Amino acid sequence: MPLATTAVTHPQFKSARFAQGLSYADFLAQATVNRDKFDESYRSVPLTDDDLSFFRKVAGLPHGPAKILAIAEAWCGDVYRELPTAVRIAEATGMDLRIFLRDENPDIMDEFLSNDGKSRAIPVFVFYTADLQYITHFAERSASAHAGLALAKDEAIVRLNLPKTATFGNLPDAERQAFLREVIARIKPYLDQWRKDAVKEIRELLSSALKVPNAG
Amino acid sequence: MPDETRSAAPIVYTIRGCDACVKLLRKWDAEHVVYEERHVELSQNVLDEARRYGDLVPIVVWPDGRVEQGFGDTIGCFI
Repeated sequence: MPLATTAVTHPQFKSARFAQGLSYADFLAQATVNRDKFDESYRSVPLTDDDLSFFRKVAGLPHGPAKILAIAEAWCGDVYRELPTAVRIAEATGMDLRIFLRDENPDIMDEFLSNDGKSRAIPVFVFYTADLQYITHFAERSASAHAGLALAKDEAIVRLNLPKTATFGNLPDAERQAFLREVIARIKPYLDQWRKDAVKEIRELLSSALKVPNAG
Repeated sequence: MPDETRSAAPIVYTIRGCDACVKLLRKWDAEHVVYEERHVELSQNVLDEARRYGDLVPIVVWPDGRVEQGFGDTIGCFI
């Protein structure tokens, strides 16, 4: 989805509930899959010195971000690519990161739906002040990733000589599978770039919400 | 051919909470399709097995070896 919207209500999160969230270590301990993927992503988090300087700067503001609520599930590819970024931001700034499993916390997930309220896309990173006032949130993946996926679909339609109106839902099975394979092959080379774009987007969200320059 | 493709029924790799997976299984249940469901979120071995066939669930491995990914009008859930 594009930059996170404010169509949801974001009730102030209660401190006791926030504290029930998992630490990253506890999240990994309960994960039955993808621990190697999380470790790999953690080692390759695309945060620059300028990024870290920016996040430390906003964390030091009187009403800056002090807590991050993450909604995640270990099986999700977007989660194992993006969650370690939030972990590293928290570690570098002292923000308190708490992780809530999407499928065990539907009330929280319902506050941060994507795609006009139709998708329970994860990860979601919600930034709060120390007293749990909502600041902003990032959902799923960067706007550039969504744009890249749309472009990949358009290019695949041309490459496979499909009707311009082709979608995943209106093609015969064989053509649909070829379409999917073509789209996936086209987006895979961009996954690392989209992780960098997610950092850029989180900076933009915080800069805009806090009305501070987006500079490290 | 891997053992999992020798089943007489299609094998479907799913994730709990994946909307496309839920829609596919609802359709199959309504059509009384017999299938074997394997939950990729419960086991690294099953997840690795699913990744041999595709990148997003649901993944269906038919008895004749054909493989299909995704269902419906969304791209599905990447694994």
